[in-house]
Amino acid sequence: MATQAHSLSYAGCNFLRQRLVLSTLSGRPVKIRKIRARDDNPGLRDFEASFIRLLDKITNGSRIEINQTGTTLYYQPGLLYGGSLEHDCSVLRGIGYYLEGLLCLAPFMKHPLKIVLRGVTNDQVDPSVDVLKATALPLLKQFGIDGESFELKIVRRGMPPGGGGEVIFSCPVKKALKPIQLTDPGKIKRIRGMAYSVRVSPQMANRIVDSARSVLNKFIPDIYIYTDHMKGISSGKSPGFGLSLVAETTNGTFLSAELASNPQGQGAAVLPEDLGRNCARLLLEEIYRGGCVDSTNQSLALLLMTLGQQDVSKVLLGPLSPYTIEFLRHLKSFFQIMFKIETKSCGEELKGGDKVLMTCVGIGFSNLSKTLK
Amino acid sequence: MESKDQKKHRKKHSGPKAEKKKKRHLQDLQLGDEEDARKRNPKAFAVQSAVRMARSFHRTQDLKTKKHHIPVVDRTPLEPPPIVVVVMGPPKVGKSTLIQCLIRNFTRQKLTEIRGPVTIVSGKKRRLTIIECGCDINMMIDLAKVADLVLMLIDASFGFEMETFEFLNICQVHGFPKIMGVLTHLDSFKHNKQLKKTKKRLKHRFWTEVYPGAKLFYLSGMVHGEYQNQEIHNLGRFITVMKFRPLTWQTSHPYILADRMEDLTNPEDIRTNIKCDRKVSLYGYLRGAHLKNKSQIHMPGVGDFAVSDVSFLPDPCALPEQQKKRCLNEKEKLVYAPLSGVGGVLYDKDAVYVDLGGSHGFQEEGGRTSELVQSLISTHSTIDAKMASSRVTLFSDSKPLESEEIDNQGLWMPKEEKQVDVKTGRVRRKAVFGDKEDESGDSDDEDDEMSESDRSENGSSDNETEEEKADTEMTKYMTIKGVKRQKLEQEEESEVDLPAFADSDDDLEKSSGEEEEAEEADESSEEDSSAEGERDVLESKAVGEGGKARLLPANHWNDHLTKEKSSPVKKAALTTSDSGHCTAEEAFASEDASEESSLLSSEEEDSENGGVIREKLTKPLQLSSGQKLKSENLIDETSDIEDLLKEEDDYKEENNYSIETSGALKWKEDLSRKAAEAFLRQQQATPNLRKLIYGAVTQDNEEEDEDTQEELGGLFRVSQPDRGCKHKADSLDCSKFLVEAPHDWDLEEVMNSIKDCFVTGKWEEDKDAAKILADDEELYGDFEDLETGDVHKGKPSLDTQVEDTEEEVKEENDPNTEENAKKKHLDKKRKLKEMFDAEYDEGESTYFDDLKGEMQKQAQLNRAEFEDQDDEARVQYEGFRPGMYVRIEIENVPCEFVLNFDPHYPVILGGLGNSEGNVGYVQMRLKKHRWYKKILKSRDPIIFSVGWRRFQTIPLYYIEDHNGRQRLLKYTPQHMHCGASFWGPITPQGTGFLAIQSVSDTMPDFRIAATGVVLDLDKSIKIVKKLKLTGFPYKIFKNTSFIKGMFNSALEVAKFEGAVIRTVSGIRGQIKKALRAPEGAFRASFEDKLLMSDIVFMRTWYPVSVPAFYNPVTSLLKPVGEKDTWSGMRTTGQLRLAHGIKLKPSKDSLYKPILRQKKHFNSLHIPKALQKALPFKNKPKTQAKAGKVPKDRMRPAVIREPHERKILALLDALSTVHSQKMKKAKEQRHLHNKEHVKMKQKEEEEKLKRQKDLRKKLFRIQGQKERRNQKSSLKGAEQLK
Repeated sequence: MATQAHSLSYAGCNFLRQRLVLSTLSGRPVKIRKIRARDDNPGLRDFEASFIRLLDKITNGSRIEINQTGTTLYYQPGLLYGGSLEHDCSVLRGIGYYLEGLLCLAPFMKHPLKIVLRGVTNDQVDPSVDVLKATALPLLKQFGIDGESFELKIVRRGMPPGGGGEVIFSCPVKKALKPIQLTDPGKIKRIRGMAYSVRVSPQMANRIVDSARSVLNKFIPDIYIYTDHMKGISSGKSPGFGLSLVAETTNGTFLSAELASNPQGQGAAVLPEDLGRNCARLLLEEIYRGGCVDSTNQSLALLLMTLGQQDVSKVLLGPLSPYTIEFLRHLKSFFQIMFKIETKSCGEELKGGDKVLMTCVGIGFSNLSKTLK
Repeated sequence: MESKDQKKHRKKHSGPKAEKKKKRHLQDLQLGDEEDARKRNPKAFAVQSAVRMARSFHRTQDLKTKKHHIPVVDRTPLEPPPIVVVVMGPPKVGKSTLIQCLIRNFTRQKLTEIRGPVTIVSGKKRRLTIIECGCDINMMIDLAKVADLVLMLIDASFGFEMETFEFLNICQVHGFPKIMGVLTHLDSFKHNKQLKKTKKRLKHRFWTEVYPGAKLFYLSGMVHGEYQNQEIHNLGRFITVMKFRPLTWQTSHPYILADRMEDLTNPEDIRTNIKCDRKVSLYGYLRGAHLKNKSQIHMPGVGDFAVSDVSFLPDPCALPEQQKKRCLNEKEKLVYAPLSGVGGVLYDKDAVYVDLGGSHGFQEEGGRTSELVQSLISTHSTIDAKMASSRVTLFSDSKPLESEEIDNQGLWMPKEEKQVDVKTGRVRRKAVFGDKEDESGDSDDEDDEMSESDRSENGSSDNETEEEKADTEMTKYMTIKGVKRQKLEQEEESEVDLPAFADSDDDLEKSSGEEEEAEEADESSEEDSSAEGERDVLESKAVGEGGKARLLPANHWNDHLTKEKSSPVKKAALTTSDSGHCTAEEAFASEDASEESSLLSSEEEDSENGGVIREKLTKPLQLSSGQKLKSENLIDETSDIEDLLKEEDDYKEENNYSIETSGALKWKEDLSRKAAEAFLRQQQATPNLRKLIYGAVTQDNEEEDEDTQEELGGLFRVSQPDRGCKHKADSLDCSKFLVEAPHDWDLEEVMNSIKDCFVTGKWEEDKDAAKILADDEELYGDFEDLETGDVHKGKPSLDTQVEDTEEEVKEENDPNTEENAKKKHLDKKRKLKEMFDAEYDEGESTYFDDLKGEMQKQAQLNRAEFEDQDDEARVQYEGFRPGMYVRIEIENVPCEFVLNFDPHYPVILGGLGNSEGNVGYVQMRLKKHRWYKKILKSRDPIIFSVGWRRFQTIPLYYIEDHNGRQRLLKYTPQHMHCGASFWGPITPQGTGFLAIQSVSDTMPDFRIAATGVVLDLDKSIKIVKKLKLTGFPYKIFKNTSFIKGMFNSALEVAKFEGAVIRTVSGIRGQIKKALRAPEGAFRASFEDKLLMSDIVFMRTWYPVSVPAFYNPVTSLLKPVGEKDTWSGMRTTGQLRLAHGIKLKPSKDSLYKPILRQKKHFNSLHIPKALQKALPFKNKPKTQAKAGKVPKDRMRPAVIREPHERKILALLDALSTVHSQKMKKAKEQRHLHNKEHVKMKQKEEEEKLKRQKDLRKKLFRIQGQKERRNQKSSLKGAEQLK
């Protein structure tokens, strides 16, 4: 009897997305216990439930069991199905939270995914949709996931706590991924950005732009920061503003940083000048960290390397984030894959901190959902 | 080899050489120009028609591209696994003989009985695994999946047999390996012509099956029960030079053809329950793709398993080392076939004894073979031995604990002795090591030809001795400073309840030291004694220092260090020896060690160990602080970055401390500092990061916690405060990497630190535009302007020459510049080559070429990436690579596998990809095999062979309609593809499969029922079958009718509101609404008025479900000799046949005689008005009815008188008589007439006859007369005159 692959068991709600996504890709059931078991408000939160619901929507034949208190979750993955879908994300987390999961799964569906996500497009916790659009999509393209239907469109902006944003994400289906060799990040040739403001004075965006430029101009002259002021229905339900910056290198690497204003009624008001300056500094920090993939997308790059053909893939990263480190452990337990990790110090060159060269051999993953015609 | 008269030279008639010669010949005759037709007759080769030209161009292009295959990355390993040669054929065709002959041909060894695969070295770069395939279809299927080359034996005296064709079809489905036909029994032909004919016939049939031109070998006859040497030699040659193309399934999955199996189950378990699940280890060459540890595998014929452990072993049948020779030495021609017991290879539970003696195994090349033997022995030590040699690292940087240290002393593993009992000397030596250290001391330290494994053993035992010696010294010291020590001990004992601190060379072992003190004092060798002397001095110093207890173990540690220094090689050997069987954490320890297999490394390790020891020592003094440290250490297993940093800090502190304290020992202090520095360096480097990430992976550490939590009163538990990791477990799930310590970006130096990240910064040497330009200038300095004819000189060549000479001078002075120059030179060369390439190709590179180039680059990268790493590390990263000889442990194997093990049957371990172990619905395109006699029925269980598996399942057949609907079929179509869907293991799309009805009985006919390919995988299916619901009108209005009998309730009707319905006569309509009156009736509207006799029906589609039945064929679990009798679920037909149950058909399905009622037509009625309007000719012309006879005209009835009646009677009688008379007379007359006619006829005939005679006579006379006349007329002209 072809037994169901023995399930993996974890405790705690941290890294829930990683576990569920990897479980879906590897086909191994996963059991998560003690989700906020000691908390005053135990069990899964709304946003996690929403993520699970989203997984249920994009798969066929998944089995999800949650106990009465919501502290234990059993997830037996089905096959990725895709198609045209809509999903209302929880406003507790940004759309980025959901989108990150989708980016990992979307290329391996049966039907190309076209999904409308509604919720908070920009917040302070999750990577915003702007940043993902500017960094994650080019990264996926490096792996051969490309096509005219590959896009992420921001229809409406929604800020916390009200939300009301809407994005459309569509991704073609791939059977196998290309291996990558990203060892040279190249040099930053331009910096682009997006200063947005919703339900506040449009002047805010301009003020952000000026302050951000004042910091970045010392390094490179080619800076252009777009201002995006949305009005009416496309401006969501809550006021706010923010900035996301992307540095592009000669070799097609995108490094990003972003900041958003405090949600209405929470914390002190933020001056747009401060926000712009801080965001620019964050970008400089990101550049200091360096690598061919920016820090939020490290795990995505590593996942796609893992899922490649049985070829060697290499990527140069900045210091590994805790999220990535945990992700690497998960990759090991789900796919039995280990990365060769080499530290590369920059030496004489003035290129920021130490880098890490990650090398792995793909597991020869093939899209089991795609129909053969 | 006996060379006869040599072949005569034959002149070449084609090819470049021949052409050249011909040309020269023609030139000699001065006909050179005439030869070239193009030159001679250019008009004939001119373009006549552009269209034709285009066509011919297209055609050539088509042909060219047709030859292309999609390029794939070449993933064949550098040292490929042996090629699997499957020898297949019907019984009694000569398979075993052929294998024997082949083995003898390659190895000059004779195998009497062949069981299982035999691996031989066939050439400098090639090994073969030969395996025989019988006629069991299970075996045929399994072997077709792993075969690289199939030798298909055909009995020429008999012709092809069904097995051959079956095997060919199996091969076709599972990727087509190379197939070579071999005709045997050719000596049974008496006549040469017959032989030739048969050969030709068989060859052509073979070609149609395989491909035209497939190689077919002829083995003409037997000599002394063997095939002819020359023919076998040729066959062998063909095999050794054969090239193979990669097969998709095989290259994408790891697999092993096991050539050895061992049962590792605890004998006690077997004793208590003979049917208990077994733990089994299987050995074999890994083929196909990389195999990861803990992955899922499938054993065809047994089932799915998870690999519990994989380890690689030294190659038992290794290729010869690289040497420039043409052929192999005798000693390099190895055979490896443990199942056949080749060359005295014996195998018992956990050890293999190889005896290659007899021929030439030992005397020429002791080192090599002994290495083989030793490695085999060392790797297959018993579990207990493994346990003994295994080490546990409790701290991330503490010395690994060995089991002896934990266990009570003097518990020597009996298993090791078990390994001893082999006759060969080498093995015996090993056994000696197992005993005690005295022999190791005197004999083996100087032994030069000691093999690695020996060394490792030796090393380990040495280590033990050292440690024990150290212990003795400790105890010695204890006698001196007993009281102090006692105190220390007590303090330490107070901490014993923390098991994590049971350190390596600590008081746990002390008791053992005490016991053996006396012996060991005597046994110390000369070297040791000298070292000891030193130590003694130190000790005394230490004592003199004034009873600082903590210094003593430091000393002890230093001793240890010196020892280590003296035997670094041993240490290294030790670290590599336990490689094969280590858990993940151990692997790290051993890897670290192996990576730094140098003196420095060992020092480092020691420094680590020492650090811990010292840390312990600080405790008595600053107990509280020590405790804190420890708790920190405990936490550090949670492995966070900060923790690690903290740990490092701790470590630094400790180091400082140690330096302070042991100030007296200057040279050693220096050493330790060095070691510490190196250690720190190492800490910053990679293994550390790797350790940080992978080292302490705790999947679910909560479980243990739960166990340890003690219960209070059975119901409540002690609530422990959350630890760090628990806190982490529920923290925010966010991928953002927040900046913890932001730089101050206003500072100049901070800003400068990323200056080079921008295009405005400094560029690297090889990318700086200015530099490149300069280089190019230098390279391409001189060029000729073709248009003007000017020649530009880059730089005066004199200058460069001068420079060169200068450089040369410099070079001599400075090695650095020499390197530079070399580099420069290489660069120059490379650039020139690039230029040449570009010029030569000139944009010729097509898409295909580019793709191929890319693949090649990738392949090179794949090869180069892990090349420099040792296998231990490589295995971690890329998995076990194909070509390795691996040992796989599998647990929970059914006991029948071991009990009924038959070496003749292949045991295959097929690796499964991700989620290939799961089950779901599989859709496939299927076609009944054209040679299979029956058609297949839906829901009949059938056996599929897909991927690695063979299993029985219940498929549904369907066909896809033009609108994408999948309609259920009862039976497969005869000559057409259809779809099939079953519930079973998920297999990647594009995988071929075949179906057979049964694997047990040998049917006379072709057994393969269907073939096809997997199309889709899903967790649900959408096959439907047609369902027609009928109803009858019971009330008809104009276009509306009330219909009943279609549904049972109003609810059902409601569900179908708006559905399209139709009458049999074709009137379309729609369901409108349910009616109340008869339950289930409804109102419907039609496009025309119905009749009461109409039947209304609705066509619906009913989804069907596939039975979730998946039953793997477990043929290997059957008893020996019955392995081909597996039978699974039977079809209903078979069951009915077996139980004699006749099918009761439903009455409706029976054929009945058709009874047709006579049709009654009513008469045609034309209305009067119409009749009147008709013209006369069309008016119905019915006779006017005879009018009634009026009463007055009616005649009255006559009533006769009796008298009259009498008269009438008389008259009647008279008339009867008369008429009778008349009748008679008439008859007579008739007769008379007849006679008369006859007579007349006679007369006539006579008359005619007479006339005829008369005429005859007349004519004769006339003729005679005429003749006479003629005669006379011919000559009678004169007469007439």
